[in-house]
Formats: sequence, C-alpha cells, structure tokens
Amino acid sequence: MEFFTTALGHVLTLGPLSAMTGSTLLGVFIGALPGLNPVMAIALLLPLTYSMDPLVALAMVAGIYNGSMYGGAIPAILLRIPGTPASIATTFDGFPMADKGEASKALKIACWSSAVGGIASAVALMTMGPLLARLTLFFGPAEYFWIAIFGMASVGVMVGSDPVKGIMAAVLGLLIGTMGIDNLSGQARFTFGQTWMLGGLDLIVVLVGLYALPPVLQLAEKADLRGLSAAQLKLADAPFKPGELRGLIPTWLRASGIGIGVGILPGAGGNIAAFLSYNAAKNASSDPESFGKGNPQGVAAAECGNNADNAASMIPALSLGIPGNVVAALVLSALTIHGLQPGPQLFHQNPVLVGGFMVEMLLTSVLIFALGGAVATRVFAQFQRLPGVLLVPSILILMCVGVYVINGRPVDLWVMLGAGIAGYLLEKVNVPLAPIILGMILGPMAEQSVRRALLISRGDATDLLTRPISAGLAIATLLVILWPVVKTLRRRRAARA
Amino acid sequence: MKLKATILGMSALVALAAPALAEYPERAIELTIPAGAGGGTDTSARKLAILLEEKLGTSIAILNVGGGGGSVGASQFMQAKPDGYSLFATWNSPITTVPQVQNVAYSLDSFTPIASTSETAYTLCVKADFPAATGEEFLAELAANPGKYTYGNDGIGGTMQLAAERIFQAKEIDAIAIPFGGAGETLQNFLGNHVDIYGGSISTVLPYVETGEAKCLLVTSAADVPALPDASGLESLGLGDKETLLWRAILGPKDLDPAIVEKLAAVIDEAVNDPSYVEFLATKGEVPNVVKGDALGDRLQSEYDALAEVSKRLGL
Repeated sequence: MEFFTTALGHVLTLGPLSAMTGSTLLGVFIGALPGLNPVMAIALLLPLTYSMDPLVALAMVAGIYNGSMYGGAIPAILLRIPGTPASIATTFDGFPMADKGEASKALKIACWSSAVGGIASAVALMTMGPLLARLTLFFGPAEYFWIAIFGMASVGVMVGSDPVKGIMAAVLGLLIGTMGIDNLSGQARFTFGQTWMLGGLDLIVVLVGLYALPPVLQLAEKADLRGLSAAQLKLADAPFKPGELRGLIPTWLRASGIGIGVGILPGAGGNIAAFLSYNAAKNASSDPESFGKGNPQGVAAAECGNNADNAASMIPALSLGIPGNVVAALVLSALTIHGLQPGPQLFHQNPVLVGGFMVEMLLTSVLIFALGGAVATRVFAQFQRLPGVLLVPSILILMCVGVYVINGRPVDLWVMLGAGIAGYLLEKVNVPLAPIILGMILGPMAEQSVRRALLISRGDATDLLTRPISAGLAIATLLVILWPVVKTLRRRRAARA
Repeated sequence: MKLKATILGMSALVALAAPALAEYPERAIELTIPAGAGGGTDTSARKLAILLEEKLGTSIAILNVGGGGGSVGASQFMQAKPDGYSLFATWNSPITTVPQVQNVAYSLDSFTPIASTSETAYTLCVKADFPAATGEEFLAELAANPGKYTYGNDGIGGTMQLAAERIFQAKEIDAIAIPFGGAGETLQNFLGNHVDIYGGSISTVLPYVETGEAKCLLVTSAADVPALPDASGLESLGLGDKETLLWRAILGPKDLDPAIVEKLAAVIDEAVNDPSYVEFLATKGEVPNVVKGDALGDRLQSEYDALAEVSKRLGL
C-alpha cells in the first residue's frame, strides 16, 4: 500500500492529471464512434509518447482504454449501434430503454456501471494482481476450450423467441470464424483464393457492417427531416424509482466478478465479459422475460462487465509479462522502451511507474463518473436530435472511415457493406445478430484450444474432462444450459399449484 | 523551332528525373508492418520510424496489416508502387518461412531488399527440474525419449518451429510441436506446465531465467548468447550450420530505383546504429545487424533454401 501512496503523489501532478482527463474524454469519443477502437488509438498514440514522461504516456493509455469501454455504450443505447465489440450486450436493453424515452437514464446507468466495474477491476489489480496472475497459469488449452464452450452456452440468452433462428445465427458465426489461415496446420480455409482473406474476416469490420448498417437503414426508411427537439430528448430529468439504484448493486457485484475473472485470462476479452455478465444477470433475475425489453439491469450488467475486464486484463501483463490482449501488449512495449523488463520483477524494478499506472487505471474509472455523466453524455446525446437526413450520412461516413483505417484496404468496405446487407435482411426475418458475433469470437478459440489440448494429450479426449478446472467448467456449462429450463419448469409448477 | 522544342523537352525530362531523386523523399512515406500493433516487429519498426522521420525529414505513416503469419501484409504490400513512398518493415518469417507452408502470391522476387536492421536468436528452455543441465544433455534426453516431450512454438511452420526442427532433424529427435499464438502464449503454457519446453524469443522468457524458474539450454544461433550463460550456441554442439535467427528488415516493392535503395539503406544504417536504438534493441535481447541491398537478397535466398529443405522433410 505504501507503493500506492508514493505513486499517487507522482500521478497527482499536472502532467498525468491533464493527460488522464483529456484521454478519458478522447476515449469516450473513440468508443462512441463505430469503427474507431481503443486498440487503434493507443497504437497510434503510444509511439508519440516514447520521449515523454512515462506516467503521462500510461495515463493516456488508461484514459483511452477505460473511456472507450464506456463510450461504446452511447451509440449502443441511442442508436442500437455498438461502438465497440464489447458493447453489443448493451444494445439488448439499452436501446429498448431509449425507445421508451429513457435514453438519459440508460446512459446514466451505463456510465455509473462502467465506473463501478472499472474501479472494482483496478482495485483487484492493485491488491491481488500477482495472486490472480498465478491462477491464470492453471488454464491450459483444455480449460480454454471449456471457457469458449461456456461462453457459447450463453447464446441461449440471446436467441430470442425463436431458438432455431438463434442457433442458425450462431452457426453462421462459427463458419465465418473458420475463414482464413488455420494457425495449427497453416492451411488456408474458405479464402476462395483471395489473398486478403488469409487473415479471415476482421471482427470489427463485420461488427460495424452487421450492427451499424441495419439501424442506419431503418433510420433512413423513416426519412425524418426535422429531428427531435431538446424536450423530446428527455435528457434533463430521468427520475429513478426509489430502491432502483440499490437494486443494481447485486448486478454490479456479479458483473465485476465476472469481468475480472474473464479479464485475467489472456485471450478472453471485454466482449465475452459483457455477454457472460448479461447472461448471469438474466439468469439471476426473478423476471427474466423483461430482459431485452428495456431492463436497466441488462445495461448495468453489460457495461459493468466490460469495464471490469480492463484493469484485470493488465494483471497477467504486469505480473507475469504475458500480455492478454493488444492493449496490454502495447503497455508492455511502452514499459520496455522506458527500460523496464516485463516479468515477475516488474513491480520491484519501478514501483512508482507500475504502481502509478495502476492508480491511473483507478482514477480514470472515477473520471468516467464526472466526465462521462456530465459532459460526454450530454454532448453525444445531441446527435440523436439530428434529423435522419443528416444523421444517416454522418454515421455512414464515420463507419467507412473507421473500417478503412483498420487495415487500410478498400476491400474491407465491401465486407462491411456485405455484412450490413446480410444483417438488414436477417433482422427483417427476425434472426438475432448477436449469436453471429459470439460465434466469430468463441468459435476459433474453442477450435484451436481443443486441437492444442488433443495434441498435448496425444489424442486422448478424456483429458478434457479429467483435469479439475476443466471438469468444473464443463459442469458449469451444463448448469448454464439447464438453469433456465429448470426455472421455467418450476414456475409452471408453481402456477399450477 | 523543332530543335528548341526537343531540347526544352529533354531538359524538362532531365529536370523531372533529377530532382525526383535529389529531393526524395518529398512527401510522407507509408510503412506497412505485417503484424498487429504491440508485438516485437511492430514496436521495433515504430521506434525506427521515429528516427527515420528525423533523418529523412518526412513523416512516416504506419499501417499494421496482421494475419496469416505476416503473409496478409506481404501480399498487400507487393502491389504497392515502387516509387519509394511505400516501404515494408518485416521480420524474416513472412518472406522465408511462411511460403513453405502457405500457398502465397508472392516470392522473393516480389520485393526489393533494402537493409536488415536487427537480429536475435530463439531459445529452448525447460523448467528447473528437467533432467538436463547443458545443451548437450538436453538434446540427449530428447533423443532418448522420442515422442515424450512437447514444445510450444510461435505457430505451425513458423520460423521458431523450423529453427527447432532443423536441430531436431540433425539429432534425430522426435518432440511434439504445440503451436501457440505467440511467445507470450507459449510462456503462459510453459509456466503452467501445459507444455514441457518453451520455444520462442529470449526477451520473453528472460525474467524467469533470472528467478530460476526456467533454464534455457539451447539457442538457435551459432554463437552463445551472453544473456543466457547456461544455453549452448549451435557451434559448440557441432551444429553451427543449422543456425536460424529471427531478424528484421526493411524491403521495398519490386523494381525499386537502386538510387533510392542506396539512399534508404544508408539512412537505415545510421538510424539502427543510433545509440538510442541500440539501447532499445538491447532491452528486447536484439543486436543491430545491417546487411544492405544485394547482400540482403542473398541472405534471404539462402535462408529460404535451407528452410525449404527442413519443411520438405517435415512433410509440411
């Protein structure tokens, strides 16, 4: 703890403080624009900081990272367009809330939940980092396989009223996930001889097309020329019912735990954390039917879960030298450039710098309360007032710019258009889109892990079940699948009695 | 009149041609990196780009095109115009290794070699309780137990795997390759005892050598590596000709003007040997190594041929 008070002294100086404030705002902005994502922003900014005070550079990373996870919720709620892959689950209840005229309330809940998740995660990073990091080592390929399967089981929650269509969507996602070079055999799969497809379809490109284009087309269909008045936006007052905030606390606790748990595992990201948190909130609810129809608990779970992933994802990077995602890799490379050697001794090499970064992760989460609530939300919500004739082309341009800069190749724009048209048609026939993205994320993880596990066990499949953690995860998966069934049966019996 | 026009025309041509070189570069250069942001190739290229910007007096825009072990970026880059404003910062694997296992559209001829920048060896490490203390004992233990040990590597047909297999083939060793997504992932599985042997970059595993958790017994360079005193270089094991390194280079598109190549190679040489860059490389366990122009082309060709033979014998 002494480390942190010393570090705090260094962080609470003009440079890092202004960097945190500016970059949190920038992060909210980046997260809110579909296509732009924190990884890209940090990758662009970090090299510029190589000659700067490292605490200022890391303050910018912390701000962009935390800010963008909340920023993604803004278009998710207002327009049903997730700003980042991690805010898909936020659209489930956020947009229905906005539709009911509760946009401001939904944004407030998203903001507070993001801050709570971020703070919980930063506290875990500061207090239990090395311990949690050692825990991740128990997770080998067999365990990762079961985590992916566990995640896929949560597909049940988003299939909506027609399970067959939901499963079809998930299978479509799995198929898209198999495209490109197979990392385990080096074979190109489903690339149709096209070089640009060797890397598979880019998740963000598909996401932007699939998720942003259909709502934009729907806006265009309305052909609304006038836009909303300030009064119609209902931004000023969003009364909370008594006890409503207190009711969110269990959801926050659960989502923070899930987010941290997912975060510490290298390779599993905020999108999985948000899906799992949402699923858990729905399963725990006494009224699961209200999810997907504007239940504030859904927004709270998703946003708290994806922010709780952030600081926790730094745990294996800072404690073991194993970057769990690209942002963590960028942070490690920044530390290396400042002469530090990532690994178990990192903290002792420079407690002020490493401790300072942890404090910055905490403070930028606190800043979301102040900046996200007061400034950012009000500014961004104004976009919703724009008449459709202005809003539609503006979003389209932003989408195209965002998608183009990911790989700098025009073909991605066609992929986005294709995915968008597919998404529009699928929505018209009531096929849910979320399972497609989930399949794309978890399919490759499940496939590669199980093949690695079988290589290690020399082809013996029982190894997938005999290890304690894998067995536990397998049972948990079964429970997640069966729990809603049991609940429905119980309710039916209760209704009959 | 006619003559005058011809002279005017010719001098205009000369005027066009000469400054094109003298003033190169007169606008921003786009540097394609065939890997995602944050990895070793990315950070070393970005750091170098900052120095090159200063020396060339122009800005350099970085474009990360990851995927396919670097082949996606290489394929995209080979279509660039050879005007000196599109450059490619790669490591050796996409050029010499990936084509052995993937059906790629490019070959060595698709690029103009400009200059290599730095290099480092790969290492093979085991846990502290492994029954071997030297490189020789390590290889003997592997040879005595065919199919018993698993080693993690950076991906199927990647340079790390081929570097290891070159040694294993020479010693008739059968170890099971487990491909991971990169050295970080390999380290995680090595520390968690999911694989027996760590195969990958030195800098990633180095902290665990210092804590005593890992012992690195072999490096894939001919010479020993000072940072790893317990590891044998291949020369000392009589395998000096099986050296495989990880190295980085700047390439141009096919048919790049030799004058531009020469100018860039000179500037890269300066930048790489800048004390700040040498210091930066040291933190990653790399050393500067500048091979320019045609000599670089020869290096690529001989590595390509050696790895072609290994992968053929592996049946990849």
